[in-house]
Amino acid sequence: MASIEITNARKSYGAVDVLHGINLDIQDGEFIVLVGPSGCGKSTLLRMIAGLEEITSGDIAIGGNVVNDLQPKDRDIAMVFQSYALYPHMTVAENMSYALTLRKTAKEKVSAAIDNVAGILGLNALLQRRPKALSGGQRQRVAMGRAIVRQPQAFLFDEPLSNLDARLREQMRTEIRKLHRRLGATSVYVTHDQIEAMTMADRIVAMYDGIVQQVGTPLEIYDRPANIFVASFIGSPAMNFLTGTYQATGNTAAMTLDDGTVIPVLATPNASNGQKVTLGARPEHIDIVENGSVPSVTANVDLIEPMGLSTLVHVTLAGKPVKIFTLARPDLAIDSTVQIAFNMDKTHLFDSESELRLPPASEPHSSQPA
Amino acid sequence: MDGDKPVTNMTDVGKRPAARRGVFSRRLSGILEPYYYVSPAVVLIIAVMLMPLILGLSYAFRDIRILNPFSGGFVGLAHFQALMHDSAFLGALINTAWWTFGSLAFQFTLGLVLALLLNRQFAGRRLVQALVFLPWAVPTFLSGLNWAWMFNPVVGPLPHWLTSLGIMDTPFNILSDPDLAMWGPIIANIWFGIPFFAITLLAALQSIPGELYEAASIDGATTRQQFVSITIPFLAPTIAITLMLRTIWIANFADLIVVMTKGGPADSTQIVASYIFTQAFRRLDFGYASAIAAVLLVLLLAYALGVIALRRAMTHADS
Repeated sequence: MASIEITNARKSYGAVDVLHGINLDIQDGEFIVLVGPSGCGKSTLLRMIAGLEEITSGDIAIGGNVVNDLQPKDRDIAMVFQSYALYPHMTVAENMSYALTLRKTAKEKVSAAIDNVAGILGLNALLQRRPKALSGGQRQRVAMGRAIVRQPQAFLFDEPLSNLDARLREQMRTEIRKLHRRLGATSVYVTHDQIEAMTMADRIVAMYDGIVQQVGTPLEIYDRPANIFVASFIGSPAMNFLTGTYQATGNTAAMTLDDGTVIPVLATPNASNGQKVTLGARPEHIDIVENGSVPSVTANVDLIEPMGLSTLVHVTLAGKPVKIFTLARPDLAIDSTVQIAFNMDKTHLFDSESELRLPPASEPHSSQPA
Repeated sequence: MDGDKPVTNMTDVGKRPAARRGVFSRRLSGILEPYYYVSPAVVLIIAVMLMPLILGLSYAFRDIRILNPFSGGFVGLAHFQALMHDSAFLGALINTAWWTFGSLAFQFTLGLVLALLLNRQFAGRRLVQALVFLPWAVPTFLSGLNWAWMFNPVVGPLPHWLTSLGIMDTPFNILSDPDLAMWGPIIANIWFGIPFFAITLLAALQSIPGELYEAASIDGATTRQQFVSITIPFLAPTIAITLMLRTIWIANFADLIVVMTKGGPADSTQIVASYIFTQAFRRLDFGYASAIAAVLLVLLLAYALGVIALRRAMTHADS
């Protein structure tokens, strides 16, 4: 196992810059998830670590050795592809042993390794089958097995669960997590699915437009997003955003929405009076309240989505759609009005211009915007 | 659309009069109905495929010589007995094998190399791909004439080049040397047939997912190992089917030989297909020509069945 250090890595295709100087330190044994919308450069970064894409400038080191000019096979990494990339003409056992056979590993060692990994992944009964005779989940497992057999320094996953149905994806998510705990291997996992990122990562690397937006543990990213992009990308249902101006008097502050509605917020030393700001509130941080019980604002009910465990209420506030998540089952009529209150301690303020988060005065400096 | 209406059987509605005539005739017309629909196609197939085949085969057992008004009688197996002792025919059989497999081996190997080259990214690739296809588009008679001239020391450059390279002592026409003449049409055929293999194999190459090569390169496979364990298995079905089709096609393909050497000198380039042509259109002995054609048909059928059996055995072993 090994650490991976990425220093100022850039990638350009001709005049098009895909990655603008990525810096990332991945600890030995860490499970890192690169997450972002398609086209953000996360797969390119992974393929650069694997050696499938050349590095335009900068360095990538695995286990302390710069691997920029090494062939993929000499980097001692294993990769699981989205399409699994199983060799269709080989049996499951041959697929898993291919790398070892190429390295001229002794036959007994190979079969012992295959048996061991097949046992871990529950593939014993399938060893003599060919990939086309397997289900999607089984193929996924074989692809994992092929990676594990080699005992590489690091595992690279390129959206490995995207081709599975929702239930299987959930199941494989926990399996990969357990496997990681068992093997303790450094892993870099690429996904566009923020739920996978949240549930699997030791640390999340949120990427957008070829730039690392934020690096942090899932809860750090969730609770203190560095900017509007991270705030909107992580979390489902997504965060609500309302624009307005910031106004502080002494230790109390408020923002005035575009239609004049006033919402109390935590004072921040980083904003000045009259500054254009964006309020970010997660659906679970907005409450439906009785009239007059707490400072509240009036919104119109658009839609109610009962989900059994919870209810998602869609309302309109200051002309903007706002989603409210509640474990209660509110008795609301569509097109009626409702009083809602923002949980001031949990809402975020962002500078509308730079889109960066404006941390409140009360917050210790712990988040690390990139 | 209208849920209240009971579902009606349109066929029965259309057959009201028949229905009145009774159960039997109604059932009979029901059985015959599908055949009415396919009959135009069946009639066409019988007219343009089966009739000529049967007619041609029947000629093999009859004495049909165009210039002899008294010919046309049934001769039984006489043509086939004559064939057994026809040294020109036996020579043509050997030449056919030489011609077919000599052309095929080079067409396939060079076509595969060309396909692998065209599968790489380079500037002007689309143009080159289009140009590569050109020999295939040239009418075979034209390419035959062209190659015949190229081998001719009076008008063509090839003998002079070969002499300069030291391969020939003096410039001469290999088409007039019984030992070398077959190479003339074979070279022309190679030039003509490479595009077919290049294009079909290129299509097969492009259907191989790139991630397999990436996975293999991570697994540590060299380019050669990737070729053996990914490219070849993926190309195998295409290779098998194209080789079989082209074998049959080349064995029957006499155009280049007829144009370049007319089977000569001294029958040294006579293949079965050109021998049929010679018998039918020079000696005007259609009966004997048909008998040879029948033998060629049987040989190629046997070959095709053999290849199909082999392929089936291989795919069974596969699954």
